[in-house]
Amino acid sequence: MSTKNAKNAKDAKDAKSAKAAERAERAAALLREQKRRERRRNLITGGVVAAVLAALVVVGILISKSNEIEAPAAGSSDFGVTIGDPDAPHQLVIYEDFLCPGCGQLEAQSNEQLAALAADGAVHVEYRPFNLLSRLGDYSGRAASAFGVVLEKSGPEVAKEFHDLLFEDQPEEGEEPYPDADWLVEKAVEAGADEGAVRPGIEQGVTDFADRATAEAQQAGVSGTPTVILDGEVFNGTVDELLDELE
Amino acid sequence: MAPVKEWAGLLARLVVGGVWIAAGALKLTDPNASVQAVKAYELLPTSLVETVGYLLPALELVVGLALVLGVMTRGAAAISALLFLAFIVGIASVWARGMEIDCGCFGGGGAEPDASSSYPWEIARDAGLLILSAFLVWQGSTRWSLDSVLFRRRTPPEPDSPLDATEDMEEV
Repeated sequence: MSTKNAKNAKDAKDAKSAKAAERAERAAALLREQKRRERRRNLITGGVVAAVLAALVVVGILISKSNEIEAPAAGSSDFGVTIGDPDAPHQLVIYEDFLCPGCGQLEAQSNEQLAALAADGAVHVEYRPFNLLSRLGDYSGRAASAFGVVLEKSGPEVAKEFHDLLFEDQPEEGEEPYPDADWLVEKAVEAGADEGAVRPGIEQGVTDFADRATAEAQQAGVSGTPTVILDGEVFNGTVDELLDELE
Repeated sequence: MAPVKEWAGLLARLVVGGVWIAAGALKLTDPNASVQAVKAYELLPTSLVETVGYLLPALELVVGLALVLGVMTRGAAAISALLFLAFIVGIASVWARGMEIDCGCFGGGGAEPDASSSYPWEIARDAGLLILSAFLVWQGSTRWSLDSVLFRRRTPPEPDSPLDATEDMEEV
């Protein structure tokens, strides 16, 4: 009797603890399930967010691309001077500033080679000087203006020679005083211009020509010099690579 | 009160993110200058210069936005830290080679006389921002971040599992 009672009590106790264990197990399973779902949710959210951010980067790159330079073709600007055959297989446009050291470097490394290639009919080149470095003094503006005066009064061949001479004897960027009007007139005469024809124009300083040339360059999206455009695309390689392309 | 570290994280996010947004936006308007700026370092092959020149402004802008909003804070901060590391290496290498270029950090770029005088300051600035980025990678959870809304923990942490970075905000 007493043993039976004891057994009943034990059974009841076992049943109770089994129920408790079952409850705990259910709660744990629920928690596991919740955690699993949460991990999944976070993974999906993370994936979506990462995809959105990556898409934004792509959009940014596309915006960058849409801000690219679209320059008038070689020979079609009123503010440059061309050499070579207009029907040559390669078309090259070079935007430059008479004060910019990079332009001086480019000229030193490529001027003669480009002249030779143009003479061979390999390339049609247009040099387009404009006033980029106005913040560094008035030389850029005055030199580009003088180029305009020489182009108008003495023709493209003299203007090309004047352009070459200005780069050969380029003043140091930022080191004022810059060469004056007399110096520019001297260079123009050396290039083959008639002093009486060009002096009045050069002495005017910065002219409308430079302003309009600069406006045209900015319109095209050019914001640095030298900017080299080969067959319609901005060329970012070295001078050697450029010459290799043309040969 | 949230831990001080979370408030510090918010401050770091805003400072670093703000710098990236400014730098990226200024470059995005002038991609050619960006390409020229990358080219001026003479570190990358020509074929890569253009890609990097176009990618950097967009990447900077998005990393900046992510940091300011606090989205994917850790990932954005890790990219930010890598970029600053790359810039420090770039400027140091230009300095060591005796070149004078505008770092192109906020648009512009290319040769510039007497640029080397600003190299120490540029490196110090980037190093400071690198430290802030590294702090964010380490800290992860910060105040007022979108992460804390997007990845809010709804179940209690398991007692034996180590706390991870997306631990609960006490109150929002």
